[in-house]
Amino acid sequence: MKIHKLQTRVVLAFTLLLLLIQAASLVIINGVLSDSTNQDIRRNLLAGQRVFNLLREDNNRQLVQSASIMSSDFAFRKAVATADYGTVVSALTNHGARINADVMLLVGIDGKLIADTQVTKNAEHAGYAEQPFQFPELIAIAEQQSQAAAMVVLNGALYQMVVVPVLGPLPIAWLVVGFSIDDKFARNLQSLTALNVSFLTKDRAGSQWQLLATTLPSGASGALPHLLPSLPESKSPETTSTGIATLHMGDEDYMTLTSGLETQSGTHIVAILQQSLQQAQEPLRRLQRLLLMLSGLSLLATLAASYRIAHSITKPISELGSLASRIQQGDYSQPAPVDREDEIGELASAFNHMKDGLATREARITELAYRDQLTGLPNRTLFRDRLEQAAKVTNRAGQNFALLIINLDRFNEVNVILGHHIGDLLLQEISRRLATILARDSDTLARLGGDEFAVLLPDCDTQCAMIVVRKILDTLDQPILLEGQEVISTGSVGIAIYPEHGDEINTLLRHADIAMYEAKHDNSGYALFDLNYVEQNQQHLSLLAELRQAIERSEFVLYYQPKVGFATGTLGHVEALVRWIHPERGMIPPDQFIPYAEHTGYVRTITRWVIETALRQRRQWEEMGLPLTVSVNISARDLMNSDLPKLFAGLMDKYGASPRWLCLEITESAIMGDPKRALGILEELHGMGFSLSVDDFGTGYSSLAYLKKLPVSELKIDQSFVFHMADDQDDATIVRSTIDLGHNMGLVVVAEGIENKATWDMLQAMGCDLAQGYYISKPMAADALLKWIAQAPWKVAKEI
Amino acid sequence: MPKFNSILRILVADLLFAWAVLSSAGELHALIKDQNGQPIEDAIVLVTPLDAKNVPFPKQLRNEMDQIDKEYVPHVKVVTVGSKVYFPNKDNIRHHVYSFSPAKVFELPLYSGTSAPPVLFDKNGQVTLGCNIHDWMLGYIYVADTPFFGKSAKDGKAHIADVPAGEYSVRVWHPDMKGTEESTVRKVVPDTTQATSMEWQLILRPVFRIPRASGSGGAAYR
Repeated sequence: MKIHKLQTRVVLAFTLLLLLIQAASLVIINGVLSDSTNQDIRRNLLAGQRVFNLLREDNNRQLVQSASIMSSDFAFRKAVATADYGTVVSALTNHGARINADVMLLVGIDGKLIADTQVTKNAEHAGYAEQPFQFPELIAIAEQQSQAAAMVVLNGALYQMVVVPVLGPLPIAWLVVGFSIDDKFARNLQSLTALNVSFLTKDRAGSQWQLLATTLPSGASGALPHLLPSLPESKSPETTSTGIATLHMGDEDYMTLTSGLETQSGTHIVAILQQSLQQAQEPLRRLQRLLLMLSGLSLLATLAASYRIAHSITKPISELGSLASRIQQGDYSQPAPVDREDEIGELASAFNHMKDGLATREARITELAYRDQLTGLPNRTLFRDRLEQAAKVTNRAGQNFALLIINLDRFNEVNVILGHHIGDLLLQEISRRLATILARDSDTLARLGGDEFAVLLPDCDTQCAMIVVRKILDTLDQPILLEGQEVISTGSVGIAIYPEHGDEINTLLRHADIAMYEAKHDNSGYALFDLNYVEQNQQHLSLLAELRQAIERSEFVLYYQPKVGFATGTLGHVEALVRWIHPERGMIPPDQFIPYAEHTGYVRTITRWVIETALRQRRQWEEMGLPLTVSVNISARDLMNSDLPKLFAGLMDKYGASPRWLCLEITESAIMGDPKRALGILEELHGMGFSLSVDDFGTGYSSLAYLKKLPVSELKIDQSFVFHMADDQDDATIVRSTIDLGHNMGLVVVAEGIENKATWDMLQAMGCDLAQGYYISKPMAADALLKWIAQAPWKVAKEI
Repeated sequence: MPKFNSILRILVADLLFAWAVLSSAGELHALIKDQNGQPIEDAIVLVTPLDAKNVPFPKQLRNEMDQIDKEYVPHVKVVTVGSKVYFPNKDNIRHHVYSFSPAKVFELPLYSGTSAPPVLFDKNGQVTLGCNIHDWMLGYIYVADTPFFGKSAKDGKAHIADVPAGEYSVRVWHPDMKGTEESTVRKVVPDTTQATSMEWQLILRPVFRIPRASGSGGAAYR
């Protein structure tokens, strides 16, 4: 089984270690103490044996002494000598009582009993005359040594018996005194030695041991006689350990020392000293129990402590683990608790640093991925996410949301004229201003790229969107002061409502884009998406694709619109206007493709084609003697091209043309895109001899002072003023003022868009120099122009 | 020399008696051996005339059994029936002479010097003497029923002289002998011209002797 949990492993390791140590110490302690206990018992037994021997000798001595005192009493001797046995018995009884003797006998010199206090207190001598003394060998010893002592078994009881002579002065009788060796004696010995004491006997012939006295409990003592034959005997204290054996009696084990006692009666008597192992080992057991208890307690304590320690290690580790999981899921909110100063605390602290580092880097990455670096606004990617989310919320709530796309008008011009630095500042300022408009937190302002911003207005319909759009347009109209330069930045806003204008984010974005282009195209400031736009837009798209092939396929045609002098009524000028004769769609007016051509830069190619075609036509006319000045439109993008003068020079050489053949019409806004550069190029062109004309005058914001610097010779009043001047006093005033202004500056003033006699008359009255418009003629192809000239009321001027 | 005096006195008495019966007298030479053939001292040879009328029975006037150095001296003494025996105490301590023998039971409670009265031995037989103070003191007085007796010396020989002619019963007694006097009786008619030799072999019991109490201080007071 493998244990995977660190905590369990730690607890197990500690516990096993402790168990091992405890088991080892228990075994060692047990062994030492057990040995020591056994040694103690052995010593106790041997000491007990010595005590017993001493006690026996001492008893013998005392007995002999007592007996001798009695036997040497003259009166007693006299009584014995004179066979006064009544006196003898009473003397024996008296003396026996005095010395606590259990046996008092008088044995005749012939070895026959004379008196026995045990049998009767008043026995007649005659009664014992024939009965021999049971232990004649004791008398034999007493004859030799004048005294004898032995352990004897008499009538089934054990006695310590002494024999002394009754002297007269030779022995006339033997006095026998015996002390009972009974349980009491054994107990006495036990109290001295703290050992169990037993005495057993057996006849030499008989095989069965009989228990004479014991201190053993009855349960144990019963077994002793049966166990005894197997025991070795110790005759003397010197033969020590051989006499010791262990007996199992009752429920206990006894260390047993057996001493054979010297006997004279032919019987075998042993004294047995025993100590219960259980009792002797009781202190050891108590110690063992105590140790076991201590072991148990320390085991529990170790378990608890190791669990705590392991827990204190593993808990923070698992916490760090779960924290790591949270970090993996991108949740950086919760820090690891650093409430410790140990390695785990350091780990937690390191974890937190790691987490913070991750969070910071992720935030940075997110910012890079989702934020526009210039303005700090959400970028296109984030904005798309917001749109997706808004779509979900909106779907659930059954609401709308509005998507606004804002494109700054002529931001390129700012970038080009004032520099990218100012452009960036402008974008930042505009983003700040737009942000202040958005009132709700849920509204999102984003920069999609370049000069394009987008606004998400959750829970917002057309009406609500319009309010915001107006505020946006108002804000954009406010002039902005950037590093001392006042910049006015208008914008076009496209509006799309979800889900009305597209229930898919890409579609919705495209539709808002289309609406924005529509607004820009119409110069209307804003446009709400309309399905029609899509069709138009699609047309534009295909046109753009086909535009590039239009020159190769010779689909472009130059039309010429005559300009007639009011005063002279002669024709000296034509404006060359490019027409796209689409093989399928027929004629496509310039305003439907020129803006796109401008946008893509293709307009340069078109301009070059126009100039070349115009020059070729002029050469034809020159050869035909038709000296018309051809006005050619130069786009803003052309004006940015430094090579433009070179282009003209090349083409002039190619067609052997005179600069007087051409008049270059430049729109006011084209000049204002990058006035400095424009001025340089214009001056160069002017230097080459070209006459220059400001087209669409009045729509731009050019200052008069600036206009004055331009090397222009002609001013064309925008047709929007001319169209309505007959009906609109204001327009008429503007036209008049413009004519006056132009004249004051020494410029030729041209009015275009004249469609009726009234306008003609008014302009003529105002002193306008040249007239252009349907009232005179619409633009027409070169051959049609020749026919028109042939039948027109205006003569071709010989000289301009 | 009290011992020498007493021996001399007995010798004088014997000589007087011998002179009285000299005309027709015989002499007995007895040798007493033990079971190992070793001579026995202190064995008494008693010569009893079978015809008692022929035999004068001299009256013993004075006999003494000394106590010297806490021993009876002599160890064995023979007196005739009717003799009085003095027990002079030659030690400087007191003795308590007693006898529990059937021939004469008596006691002379603690006395010193010659203060004790003489004791009359009027019955034939052995009297064993003890001292109640000194257990080891042992002495024998044999009360003989005949005036003809002898006591063996160290060489085991006893001489009985001046035995009148006639038939006699001769027996031997010794304190440690096994068996009875009667078993030693022999009849003899002594030769009046030369000494008649007789030999006995006795079986002796091991002697039970209470050892002298050492360090009793007796020597210091003697």
